[in-house]
Amino acid sequence: MSDNGQNITVHLKIWRQKNRKDDGRFEDYTLNDVSQDMSFLEMLDVLNNKLVRDGKDPVAFDHDCREGICGMCSLMINGQAHGPMRATTTCQLHMRSFNDNETIVIEPWRAQAFPVIKDLMTDRSSFDKIISSGGFVSVNVGNAQDANTLPIKKENADLAMDAAACIGCGACVASCPNASAMLFASAKISQLALLPQGQVEAKERAAEMVKTMDEEGFGNCTNHAECEASCPKEINLSNIARMNREFFKSKLTSK
Amino acid sequence: MIGSHNYFTSSIGKKQIMALTGFGLVGFTLSHLLGNLLIFLGPDAFNFYAYKLTSNPLIYVAEAGLLGMFLLHICLAVILKLQNMAARPHGYYVKNRTGRGETIASATMPYTGLILLVFIIIHLLNFKFGSNYPTTVDGVQMRDLYRTVVEYFANPLYVVWYVFAMLALGLHTSHGFQSMFQSWGINHSKYTPIIQAASLAYGVVVAFGFSALAIFCHFQN
Amino acid sequence: MAFKLDSKIPEGPIQEKWDNHKFKCKLVNPANKRKYSVIVVGTGLAGASAASSLAELGYNVKSFCIQDSPRRAHSIAAQGGINAAKNYPNDGDSIWRLFYDTVKGGDYRAREANVYRLAQVANNIIDQATAQGVPFARDYGGYLANRSFGGAQVSRTFYAKGQTGQQLLLGAYQSMMRQVGKNNIQLYTRREILDIVVIDGRARGVIVRDIVTGDIERHVADSVILASGGYGNVFYLSTNAMASNVGAAWKAYKKGAGFANPCFTQIHPTCIPVSGDHQSKLTLMSESLRNDGRVWVPKDKDDKRHPNDIPEDERDYYLERIYPSFGNLVPRDVASRNAKNQVDEGKGVGHTGIAVYLDFSAAIKRDGKEVIAAKYGNLFDMYQRITDESPYEQPMKIYPAVHYTMGGLWVDYNLESTIPGLHVLGEANFSDHGANRLGASALMQGLADGYFVIPYTLGHYFGTNDITKVDTTHPEFQKCEDEAKAKLNKFLEINGTRTSDDFHKALGKIMWEYVGMARNEAGLKTAISEIQKLRKEFWQDLKVTGTNEGVNTELEKAGRVADFLELGELMARDALERPESCGGHFREESQTEENEAKRDDENYAHSAVWEFTGLDQTPNRHKEELTFENVPLTQRSYK
Repeated sequence: MSDNGQNITVHLKIWRQKNRKDDGRFEDYTLNDVSQDMSFLEMLDVLNNKLVRDGKDPVAFDHDCREGICGMCSLMINGQAHGPMRATTTCQLHMRSFNDNETIVIEPWRAQAFPVIKDLMTDRSSFDKIISSGGFVSVNVGNAQDANTLPIKKENADLAMDAAACIGCGACVASCPNASAMLFASAKISQLALLPQGQVEAKERAAEMVKTMDEEGFGNCTNHAECEASCPKEINLSNIARMNREFFKSKLTSK
Repeated sequence: MIGSHNYFTSSIGKKQIMALTGFGLVGFTLSHLLGNLLIFLGPDAFNFYAYKLTSNPLIYVAEAGLLGMFLLHICLAVILKLQNMAARPHGYYVKNRTGRGETIASATMPYTGLILLVFIIIHLLNFKFGSNYPTTVDGVQMRDLYRTVVEYFANPLYVVWYVFAMLALGLHTSHGFQSMFQSWGINHSKYTPIIQAASLAYGVVVAFGFSALAIFCHFQN
Repeated sequence: MAFKLDSKIPEGPIQEKWDNHKFKCKLVNPANKRKYSVIVVGTGLAGASAASSLAELGYNVKSFCIQDSPRRAHSIAAQGGINAAKNYPNDGDSIWRLFYDTVKGGDYRAREANVYRLAQVANNIIDQATAQGVPFARDYGGYLANRSFGGAQVSRTFYAKGQTGQQLLLGAYQSMMRQVGKNNIQLYTRREILDIVVIDGRARGVIVRDIVTGDIERHVADSVILASGGYGNVFYLSTNAMASNVGAAWKAYKKGAGFANPCFTQIHPTCIPVSGDHQSKLTLMSESLRNDGRVWVPKDKDDKRHPNDIPEDERDYYLERIYPSFGNLVPRDVASRNAKNQVDEGKGVGHTGIAVYLDFSAAIKRDGKEVIAAKYGNLFDMYQRITDESPYEQPMKIYPAVHYTMGGLWVDYNLESTIPGLHVLGEANFSDHGANRLGASALMQGLADGYFVIPYTLGHYFGTNDITKVDTTHPEFQKCEDEAKAKLNKFLEINGTRTSDDFHKALGKIMWEYVGMARNEAGLKTAISEIQKLRKEFWQDLKVTGTNEGVNTELEKAGRVADFLELGELMARDALERPESCGGHFREESQTEENEAKRDDENYAHSAVWEFTGLDQTPNRHKEELTFENVPLTQRSYK
């Protein structure tokens, strides 16, 4: 709603790929009269409406809540996950971050574990598999005791919340030079290891989640910290350190 | 279930062993530098130090351990690199760093590592298995390693190569040193900045320390 | 009358109804549970909690979601918190008070027995979520923190930063993924429901489209649960996610499920206003902002000065003026309606003239910038990211936006719709919020339905009904699949000139104009005829590119807009047939002398339940009379 935005022209270089098997290629588009008050995805909406009117196939991209919380949107924009703004998902990125006549290169997340489905859409179900292998507390409905029976240090509760803020978008994997999923896996391992409810099965959780992560074909962590830097929720690298501890403990004491 | 996934082949296990061997190598490098600084005190001090070191029978155990660490470190590096390449078969057309994560040091680890591998082989051939001049210090017969070193660095090209390799070493360790703490789970808002500063300081000290020795030796000719 | 509305409210005093009912519910023995299968549509709070708790009991569950992962359902966007009557702060809360507040807040258009049960199980939700590792805010002593929310007089809201919905959803998602890992739940992501299959009068399956491959699939089960969310996107612009749609619920309606109170929509007063035609979605700014922000407009029409240049005596703090005792903290519907009145009078601000100011300068002056930043820093940052303006330096611009739909598929006390075997949970049912939902109650209802109600009532359904064996070769599946395919082909064949988005935007404009914050008879009649016209145009002039195969986002959108074009008319019709004002439904003809909503309890203390009678036919309106034995009927007043 700023009344300050201007209209600009942008040149888009977008990855187009028909399906999983297609080789894919870049295609160039120019959009005139792009209001700088538009979000990045709204700019793509405008492009798509234009393509449809011309009888062409619109660009497929993932998006849903458009308020930075569902984690569905992605996009490598000019070589940066979720674009140039810190702590911002693509859906909350606005066109005022770009200049008139700028060329914007848009690519999908690139990782063996995130195959491209179409254009800019990728399959991130490997994240779900990591969670289903141990990213939970095994408590059936009906088992719970009164919530205030277990006091939890505020500091730990806050740290757990910071880790739990992960939206599972995959920017960490996309930006990691090694396509590693350590920040994602560690955020959940950390959150639950910090809480007494999660400590009961902390060992099994760390072992199983790391195992699944490795099996899904993610790369190894070499401590670049690019994941932390590009995370829209600013999940801290200390979570990976905690996961490393938890995993070692788990393996050291396993039978 | 916990045991079904091998620690040594797991992603975290590998990097922890990488860190452990790196830790050993970082320690060795520092002690090597400290010993070599005796060159500044002249031939006798240096040669006597080298003699004491090599005449200790435990040296074979130490050398074997060092070799083991090197080989493990290198093998794991190769495996990690190959796996990491496989994890992203299709690269980006444009890739820009955020500027808040990856550094030149971290991005060049495989390359600086490769330079160091080449360097170490040449280094061993030149010095450990290089020309062997006899000398006598305090009546004890020993190798005049000082002369071997000084003669080698008479060639300015060797000095340049050496300094280049040492800069690679500095870069490699400035990331590796702090990295091993993270790999072993040591990350704390209070201490991590100190570890990072220490890591940078370590890289600078080894790079400039060794380089200074090479340049010093060059001018002893 | 084709269906009979039996609410199945159990006998006895309201406090004992649920316990009595649970005891009377038939049980399915553990060995037999695995013989039953159930389809759960949607993986938000209601769907994920239902899927996980049913799988824990031993049922075979098939779970469907439209996103690429169940974790992304739109429950994730809820900010404020979740209510429960734990009374941890010792401030006088009780189950009875939560029940009372919810019935009253819903403006007496909800079923008492359901609301009481909701208040009863709310405490268990907090326990369950805590046990799952949901990181609720805590005090320094390590115990759970509470806050007052949405004008409630007690602090009963539990929260996890400003991301309570996210954390509760992830808790439910994780429980669900645990069952996926154990193979108790078969998970189908990126699937859109094209039809509900009803065989021998019972819901037995769904026809879905795999959004990735374009394949049409048949899924059979012994029961179907819809937890597919609300239909706010009928307005095109809303705070809902882009894929939120009425598809599954609408197909159920067309198969015989009653649709209750479709006109009950909640319009949230503090959203970031529309900035132009390109706008695809509206972003909510938490209601808590009104605790410190003052709402105003310039006194003069068309005052184009920068807000900071408008002197104090030329500003109209209209909420404080009209409602001296509640001021800026009047309920959502009142705040929204007043903003609209100001804009209608030509006093709106910003370049569109459709916004009002929410000003923090007085609070910043009083408490200092740090204090305000600590409270609202995240929200201010988000606002600045979207608008490029700093609320620290100039007032925010806000305007109401569609946020939640209280209406939905009619269900009885067992959460079963008028189609036997079709249970409806969460925002998708009409349930517990009456004509207006209180803040922090949506999360409560979704999880109550999924964790604590359906596990009992579904067992009762299986235990009391003889469900015959069918499979996907049944002719009804074939018929539904053929119809679904024919419809998709029809979209592709029209080959007109306008995109689905064009039609959706046009529908949204009609809905917002005539079925929005204030409604009247003439406007609603206009809406009905305009929607009918637009629907006709849609089927003649739609343009969808591509084919049936593979990813085709335009084809998906066409299906959703087609449903909205039918639903919009029903909403207008429902609003027209309810000439009283209540909660979020404001009929200009029914207001007090002070322009407040005026209920007509004598004639309209009922839920309106609509029965589908055929395409382009006027649907039948049925009534479920509401009785208030425990909460006396009073008129709300916020003066």
